[in-house]
Amino acid sequence: MAVKPFGLVFFPAFDWALTPTHPEREERLLYTRDQIVEEGLLDIPGIREYKPRLATLRDADRVHIGVPDIGSHITDAHLVSAGGAITAAEAVVKGEVARAFALVRPPGHHAMRVVHGTRGFCTINIEAVMVEYLRRHHGIRRVAIVDTDVHHGDGTQDIFYHDPDTLFISFHQDGRTLYPGSGFTDEAGSPPALGTTINLPLPPGTTDEGLHYVLDNLIIPVLEDFRPDLVINSAGQDNHYSDPLASMAITAQGYASLAAKLRADVAVLEGGYSIEDALPYVNTGIILAMAGLDYSRVVEPDIAAAPRGLSDGTRAYLRELVAKQGALWRERESLSSAAAAKAGDFWTRRRGIYYDDSGISEQQVERLRLCPHCRGYLAVATEAEGHRTGYQSAFAAVVPRESCPACRQGAKDAVLAAKRQGKYQHYYIQDKENDSLERV
Amino acid sequence: MLLGIDVGGTYTDAVVVAEGKVIAQAKAPTTHDDLLAGILAALDRVLDGVDAAGLRRVALSTTIVTNAVVEGRLERVGLLLLPGPGMDISALVPERPRILSGYIDHRGRETAAPREAEVASACRDLDGCEVYAVAGKFAVRNPAHEQAVAGWLRRHARPAHITLGSAVAGSLNFWRRANSAYYNAAVWRHFGRFARAAQAAVAGRGVTAPVYILKADGGTMPLAAAGERPVEAVFTGPAASVLGIMALAAPRGEAVSLDIGGTTTDIALWRDGAPLFAERGAQIGDYPTAVRAFWLRSIGIGGDSFVRRENGRIIIGPEGRGPAMALGGPAPTVSDAMIVAGAAGFGDKDRAAEAMRLTAAGGETVQETARSVLAAAAEAIQAAIANMIDERASEPVYRVEDAVRDLRPQPAALIGVGGAAAGLAPLVAERLGIRCSVPEGAVVANAVGAAVARPTIEVTLRADTAQGYYTVAELGLRAALPSRRFTLANARELAARHLAERAAAAGIPVADVESVYDEEFNLVRGFSTTGKIIACQLQIKPGIFTAGEGV
Repeated sequence: MAVKPFGLVFFPAFDWALTPTHPEREERLLYTRDQIVEEGLLDIPGIREYKPRLATLRDADRVHIGVPDIGSHITDAHLVSAGGAITAAEAVVKGEVARAFALVRPPGHHAMRVVHGTRGFCTINIEAVMVEYLRRHHGIRRVAIVDTDVHHGDGTQDIFYHDPDTLFISFHQDGRTLYPGSGFTDEAGSPPALGTTINLPLPPGTTDEGLHYVLDNLIIPVLEDFRPDLVINSAGQDNHYSDPLASMAITAQGYASLAAKLRADVAVLEGGYSIEDALPYVNTGIILAMAGLDYSRVVEPDIAAAPRGLSDGTRAYLRELVAKQGALWRERESLSSAAAAKAGDFWTRRRGIYYDDSGISEQQVERLRLCPHCRGYLAVATEAEGHRTGYQSAFAAVVPRESCPACRQGAKDAVLAAKRQGKYQHYYIQDKENDSLERV
Repeated sequence: MLLGIDVGGTYTDAVVVAEGKVIAQAKAPTTHDDLLAGILAALDRVLDGVDAAGLRRVALSTTIVTNAVVEGRLERVGLLLLPGPGMDISALVPERPRILSGYIDHRGRETAAPREAEVASACRDLDGCEVYAVAGKFAVRNPAHEQAVAGWLRRHARPAHITLGSAVAGSLNFWRRANSAYYNAAVWRHFGRFARAAQAAVAGRGVTAPVYILKADGGTMPLAAAGERPVEAVFTGPAASVLGIMALAAPRGEAVSLDIGGTTTDIALWRDGAPLFAERGAQIGDYPTAVRAFWLRSIGIGGDSFVRRENGRIIIGPEGRGPAMALGGPAPTVSDAMIVAGAAGFGDKDRAAEAMRLTAAGGETVQETARSVLAAAAEAIQAAIANMIDERASEPVYRVEDAVRDLRPQPAALIGVGGAAAGLAPLVAERLGIRCSVPEGAVVANAVGAAVARPTIEVTLRADTAQGYYTVAELGLRAALPSRRFTLANARELAARHLAERAAAAGIPVADVESVYDEEFNLVRGFSTTGKIIACQLQIKPGIFTAGEGV
């Protein structure tokens, strides 16, 4: 028995669905509920179940810039789900439990900083809301997020792309073969945060062996080197061999031993749509592993169907991937300085972002002020077009914590200047120092 | 007339209730070595002057099962588990289990078959064992494996009794069902002996009314039916008290009740006039079980609790050192404080005052000390109530609708029963700012509760329309669905029919059927709906006979 108990927030949202037949529907965690209740997991002395609190709109505004506001995009379910993540993390940072798992839905890792609608089943980023809550209320600074969902965690990457205090590592099925089509090795963070975004695209069909090779040889050493205050696991379960939306070959044992090695402080459920054949077993395995209990008997009944081994091609690819990303990590400081010097005072990025669930196309321009005295500030201009929503545009400036007076003024001036020009419908200043999202 | 007997720690109480009123009451010392002797003594006394022929029912609340568990008088059980994949519970059950192959998944489908050879080998290993418990994971979704194993046990051993996990509870929780099945088998013989002796002894006194036994959930079952499920008769004392409160005070809306006895106070919370149940089942010893029980909290404060001062602070209980000083006891008690404060009228007032003098801080009058003692006792009870309310409010919920709603209990009334209720209950109510009642007859509330407890039974029906079958776990039944277009309303009707069947088999009249829970999910495969999973649990509502109603 663990000295300190393990915390579980289980919120299957049995009355919430994106649409009746959507993968994100009422039934998704039904069989997981059946399994963990049937196992008696909620009764064993080392496991403590928590009721999720409700996150507030203010918690969401600390991360997102909703256009016109975040409240118009979300339902109560999102506030419970984000609140569940906060509940789990708070139980850990207050020392009530050693680790915790927010086994909640709806998920969040495709939700980016700017929100025009729902993409990849996500509307607000529940891990990011949790992380910023911990920074605000519990003095947490350095955070590592390991995204083990089969889809690239593009939303989480976007939110922390300029933040050197957040290490974001995502492994996923290669973006050339799967939604959202991003997460390549060259997405490594903007100049001041270069190297603290690490993408590990894996070939379709990668097995436990391949995944654990990357875990042992790259992810774990990098985590140890980064020395975070807190390790978060974006615990998607769709790398499973039976998942209908992806093509990987990970088993419940593969996921459980990953959880045991990662030793995340907090895990938050993301995707996973093999609701009968994978989720009951993967979740049981992760819970046991995180609670420090024996998970060796958690095996899918149809385990014979799981592909095994590794092709020589995949083996060679993974070796090269680990070598390349390891080198980037070791040289990140000099690479960061060089990139900053090359960019000058401002670093700019233009992107198209697609909201598959809401049918919206967004064009976004980020302009990051590179300041020698502080973290600078970020100006974001966004224009979106959707069938149902029509045209929506906004201009926002984000002021990070510990910013210098010149950058605070610069952010404000940028928004005022944009407003004078009047090209956009909405203007905002998100001030992380004052914990405010102000309409201008 | 209904006759109720409650076996307590010190006394065995008996009452006769007619038209909702106590018309006779008697007590006899509890005989711990032979409970039946005390039961019969109380029975004889209460029947003195009552026409036994007019009795419609005798109901017993007895500690026979609880004592057997507490004193470790448990028979060796051959425990056979079919855990399939998942957590290893071998070290978490009361007896070393034999682990068998075979697995039923969450949809009730067989994914691995059990093997007779393993059962045969277990039987050789368990040579000499006469009672068995068999529990399989998801057996409530398909009892076939448990039933097959029971069949093989009969072939390879000579079992006097076999308990199946799926028969002791219809709800999910393999670990709890395994523990329940174990305890049921372990007390089966001991309880059976008691039940037969009780039946014969009662009949020997010319009582022809059927004998029922109280269950932890406040229901009753005929003694004969109880023989197969004795574990349900554990912890009946507190259940009897809760039913007594229902009979004597009929709490409405949200309320809190206190049974303040000699050394403990049992606290229950009420909603809509009914006591709340423990969410998943009762804890027996160190093991959680699936035995349905009221949700009660017991704290070590009662009339006989030992009172003293430590580092200037008044400390009460949890242990007692004997009766009140006013009654010749050796040390100050809460009852002594009640006597000095004028809240109780028994005993030697001077001795009570002496008790308070022993407890007084410098310069305090005995009245002041008595008030401080009672305030401290009330404060401890209030804190325990607050704790229960917090616990209930933080009970996890699985629907958005429930997550955004405030489910915190807000009791508006307090009911006190038990020997020390009159002195303490009003003080607790005052602190909570709610009204208080201490009903008449509060002292024999437990026996009254047993007398008027209504028989109850439940069934859990689960239908899987995609696979075209349904199960009723408690009946060990798995059958084809009458139609593919099966709805929740159909499920409730079908469950009601099976409930009536099960009640008839147990000799229980069907009245006041209520839904415990239901759920309905669409099964979506490949973006189209392929069926539904529907579950519902119905029960004959635990409660009390009202005047004119009866067996």
